[in-house]
Amino acid sequence: MLQTRSSDHAPMIAPGHRVFGIKIGSAAVVVIVLALLPLYASEYAVSVGILIFLYMSLGQMWNLLAGYSGLVSLGQQIFVGIGGYTLAMVTQAYQLSIALSFFIAAGISVVFAFIVSFPIFKMSGVYFTVGTWIVSEAMLVFFRNWEFVKYDAGYNITVAYRISMPALYLGSLAVGVGSVVLVFLILRSKLGLALMAIRDNEGAAETRGVRLYRTKLACFLISSVYTAITGVVLYLNITYVKPGAAFGIDWTVCMVFIAVIGGLGTIEGPIIGAVIYVILRQYLYNFPGISMIILGVVAVAIIMLAPAGIMGVLRNKFGFTFFSVGRQLPAGFGSIRKKAAGRRGRPS
Amino acid sequence: MELFVQSVISGVLLGGLYAAIGVGLSLVFGIMGLTNIAHGSLMILASFFVMILSQGIMGSVIPALLATLVIMAIIGAVMQGALINRVLDKGAEPALLVTFGFAIIIQNVLQLIFGADYKSIKNPLASVNVIDTKWAIVSGEYLVNFLVSVAVLLALHFLIRRTKLGRSIRAAASNVIAAELMGVNTKRTYIYAMCIALITGSVGGMLVGRTFGFYSYSGMSYLIIAFGVVVIGGMGSILGTLLGGVILGVSQLLGAYFFGPGVQVLVGYLTLLVILTLRPRGLLSNMTRK
Repeated sequence: MLQTRSSDHAPMIAPGHRVFGIKIGSAAVVVIVLALLPLYASEYAVSVGILIFLYMSLGQMWNLLAGYSGLVSLGQQIFVGIGGYTLAMVTQAYQLSIALSFFIAAGISVVFAFIVSFPIFKMSGVYFTVGTWIVSEAMLVFFRNWEFVKYDAGYNITVAYRISMPALYLGSLAVGVGSVVLVFLILRSKLGLALMAIRDNEGAAETRGVRLYRTKLACFLISSVYTAITGVVLYLNITYVKPGAAFGIDWTVCMVFIAVIGGLGTIEGPIIGAVIYVILRQYLYNFPGISMIILGVVAVAIIMLAPAGIMGVLRNKFGFTFFSVGRQLPAGFGSIRKKAAGRRGRPS
Repeated sequence: MELFVQSVISGVLLGGLYAAIGVGLSLVFGIMGLTNIAHGSLMILASFFVMILSQGIMGSVIPALLATLVIMAIIGAVMQGALINRVLDKGAEPALLVTFGFAIIIQNVLQLIFGADYKSIKNPLASVNVIDTKWAIVSGEYLVNFLVSVAVLLALHFLIRRTKLGRSIRAAASNVIAAELMGVNTKRTYIYAMCIALITGSVGGMLVGRTFGFYSYSGMSYLIIAFGVVVIGGMGSILGTLLGGVILGVSQLLGAYFFGPGVQVLVGYLTLLVILTLRPRGLLSNMTRK
């Protein structure tokens, strides 16, 4: 389903440890500066920051699915909805703590994702895409007819009123930065190698011993759980949960927008995408009615002009990456390869 | 028992309409491997055109429909020729996302112009029953929907199987390079295919507009129905579309009969998921394309 990216940009030789250290250091400085934002920035900037970090996390998780394991899902709103409703039920119906709802949301979503994976993973390509969407629409109808969650009426999440803006901001920052770190660590792990192999050529990866089903399932579970956790924080910000909005396709629309604009299959992509998406959307609030039209036009224009997204262009044209997930090859490997290539290349 | 028979009959008739909604999506996927997310929104766009034209200058539904078909064919040609054809070589996602963008643009343009109110196309048949016995009532409206839809499917089947254009479409669908070598302009064939798909979708939109009413955001819910139909039947199979429509229609109405109208849609979705689990490529799929 995904196009093969033959010129994979993750360079074969990873930058040396010194460069890596500088990058880690500068990333840490950026995070600290961002964490202190409520001290020096306006309340409006902080509220925009909350959205950027939360949407970054959503985009990052969708990208993990679509960009790396080829699972183009239109059903990730299920997990945003599960997060939101878990928060509402735990804090409103049972009067328990917010912290508990994170664990329950994670638990429910991992179980749900695991059960759903049995039918869903039988489908491939576009059938998977359609299947996930149908599951999420089924969830929407189910919640509208479920007495336990008060049908279509929804819940006001009153505990969220007591959370201060800076606290919510720090929570969102943690979720957003956490999503980037999580994806980075996954890609540096064995799972990540398998994922990138699948992204580039599924058939070849399988022949080389990558277990497709297990790798994709792991990816699906991780993405679902983290999306649900993000959903909890999102609904601490929204403070009102209703089936139509919680399980709406709009969530996935923005995940797709963020990942595609930024660049599918890159770590930096969803970061850039989320910043553009949230700022553009905030700006477009000034033009009610046509804001979504402009967003649609921008999306179509970017796909037409740069199908690989902003990061894809930067990387292909200038070889720029920040989060390098490439690996150091063992010493001497290059010369072996050169020799092998020389033998093969000799005219017979 | 009477109600059961009634549910099955209405389900079959409704299924015919569903098939007309879905067949364009199936055609486009079968031929160019494109999942047209904008299919539902384009269909509702056609409903709006029929509504305006039939109220205004045209005066009645049939000339309004004909004018709409021409407009939609032009829209399809421009969309395919100017945009989708250009990204089609770059893998499945870019093209899919372009149509996704279209869906959002169309919905919001309609919202801007017409607001969020439900509209409908005037329908003289709304309360006429063709058959009215103890066992079953067949409303004229549902019967017309079914007959028109079956006529559309048959016409399409004839077009694909019996005409020169149909042959080039089939050639482009089965092997692009071989078709090009044999002198088929595949990109132009795609444009024709998109026009045909939108024409069938517009007929579906007109029928939906007369029977159920619609508003600017209805496209997405009809897209799901179209997907359901096509996915049950198998992408790219015209006969399968009819079968898929009937299965979805009957299961929805039987769901309403057994469990109440609230879960009607849910039963439809669950049927779909069960069929997809058992036959992940649909019931009658003859497509090898992934």
